[in-house]
Amino acid sequence: MNGVTIADLLLLIPELVLVGTALVLILLARRIRNAPVAATATVVAAVAAAALAAWAAPGAAETGFGGLIVADGYARFFKVLIAATLALTALFSAKSLEDARIPRAEYHVLLLLAATGMMLAASAVDLLTLYLGLELVTLCGYTLVGIRVDRPASNEAAIKYFLLGSFASGLLLYGISLTYGITGATDFAGIAAALAQRDAGSDPLLLAAIGLVAGGLAFKIAAVPFHAWAPDAYQGASAPVAGFLATGSKAAGLAALGRVVLVAFGPEAHTFSVILVVLAGLSIVVGSLVALPQTDMTRLLAYSSIAHAGFALLGFVAGTPEGVSATMTYACFYVFMTLGAFGVVIALGERGESLDGYRGLAAQRPMAAALMLLFLLSLAGIPPTAGFAAKFVVILSAVRSGHVVLAVLAVACSVVSAFVYMRIAVLMYMREPQAAAPERFPFAVSAALAVAALVTLIGGLIPGTFAAWAVAP
Amino acid sequence: MSEYIGIFVMFVLAGGIAGAMVVLGSTLGKKNPTPEKLAPFECGMEPFALPMGKLTVKFYLTAILFILFDVELVFLYPWAVVYRDLGFVGLAEMGVFLGVLMVGFVYAWDNGALDWR
Repeated sequence: MNGVTIADLLLLIPELVLVGTALVLILLARRIRNAPVAATATVVAAVAAAALAAWAAPGAAETGFGGLIVADGYARFFKVLIAATLALTALFSAKSLEDARIPRAEYHVLLLLAATGMMLAASAVDLLTLYLGLELVTLCGYTLVGIRVDRPASNEAAIKYFLLGSFASGLLLYGISLTYGITGATDFAGIAAALAQRDAGSDPLLLAAIGLVAGGLAFKIAAVPFHAWAPDAYQGASAPVAGFLATGSKAAGLAALGRVVLVAFGPEAHTFSVILVVLAGLSIVVGSLVALPQTDMTRLLAYSSIAHAGFALLGFVAGTPEGVSATMTYACFYVFMTLGAFGVVIALGERGESLDGYRGLAAQRPMAAALMLLFLLSLAGIPPTAGFAAKFVVILSAVRSGHVVLAVLAVACSVVSAFVYMRIAVLMYMREPQAAAPERFPFAVSAALAVAALVTLIGGLIPGTFAAWAVAP
Repeated sequence: MSEYIGIFVMFVLAGGIAGAMVVLGSTLGKKNPTPEKLAPFECGMEPFALPMGKLTVKFYLTAILFILFDVELVFLYPWAVVYRDLGFVGLAEMGVFLGVLMVGFVYAWDNGALDWR
């Protein structure tokens, strides 16, 4: 085996930019404690990484590091999406970092490294590299959730997330080792080749391997029944971190799951499909129904994110490239509308965290209320917003693959969740305000909200804009 | 598979007999508890304090710094064995690895982890 060549490193340029920025920030951590230098550096690094990922990726897929990493259209799509998540999160963090005593440089370093892990997971074509990337995300995630050391709820959330997260990592690793035992390979192509050569008939060991890998990855996207950590972790974390975990971490998990379903376990797609149908159906039903009685905004968005994970899985159920590309579209729109909703929560500060804080917001801050309404409409899936286009493609994909019952269930639960979101809209527009008007939003937060709103609108009005980039592996 | 049947039967028998003894003893046996009977039997002296006592939190910092160098050594040793075969590329790669680890060390130093206050 040869050493690493320059060509290998070129495939990882976006990740290297993020890691390099993180290292410099660690070295300077003590000197830049009270200035927005870390946030600026993070945003610049994210934009540079996105540009490099979009520009440097060749037309054809190129593998490197002895077949561990691939740079293809699929990886490029998710890398740009993850970089956008990172940049928006860094902008949103401007406000909450002022209020809470959080070490700034360290916070941004953790964001950068988590984003690196997400990108690595999106471009991994080997189960162990995939695990490495996802583990980097969750390790940074544990620390980010617990970074508000003076708040007991934050510590409690971090411990819960850590215990369940390490359990899920164990599941995934056990699944990987069983897969290696059956196929003798950890790279996706090798696994697919070995599975294709096996004679037909179900093997309990293979079923266990697929179940464990699916379970470990389902934890990362918080699909029912692997969702229990999400509401507690999101509520305990500060709102920008919750938004980052709900979007970036989920996008990375979906990216990993998509490649595993379509490439590695492609010959066993029917088995995987059964598991995914159960995960998707349960996530949609539980996420939509349990969101109904929530009074805490972060918890409500957490259950909403669980339901959305179910919708995103609808695309994978088909097990076809078209289905995976539908999920990619869903992931893209989901990231921007959810980050937007979290952004309004962040901008309103303490007031934004409970549902009652939204009473009469439209009278006090019409612009903020209008933006929130846009994101809520999108989350509910009402045209002409991106959420409608996203739900449309995944449900269409489920119907085409013959899962009509699942599609009907998804539409029915969509109606239920519309009630959840519209309840907030009613509070904003049809109730008298009870609290004092919130102060002006910082510029960084407003700018990030504008970007999220723009994508949500464009995605709804011209849904084909991003479809061309959503190419399955 | 069939060669393991014997072991399986032994497990079942051992578990069954041990379980039966415990269950029969606790259900059929006569109970007449006295403080002497309830005391831990043959378990040494009663403890006066927690075995660890209180430990200053600064030791945890030392332990974490130790891990930093421990991880370094785990990779340095096999690297040193095949150093000649790797050539310059190997040296450069190890330089990058040590550099990244040292960034962590410099961070800890910078933030006063080495001052025993």
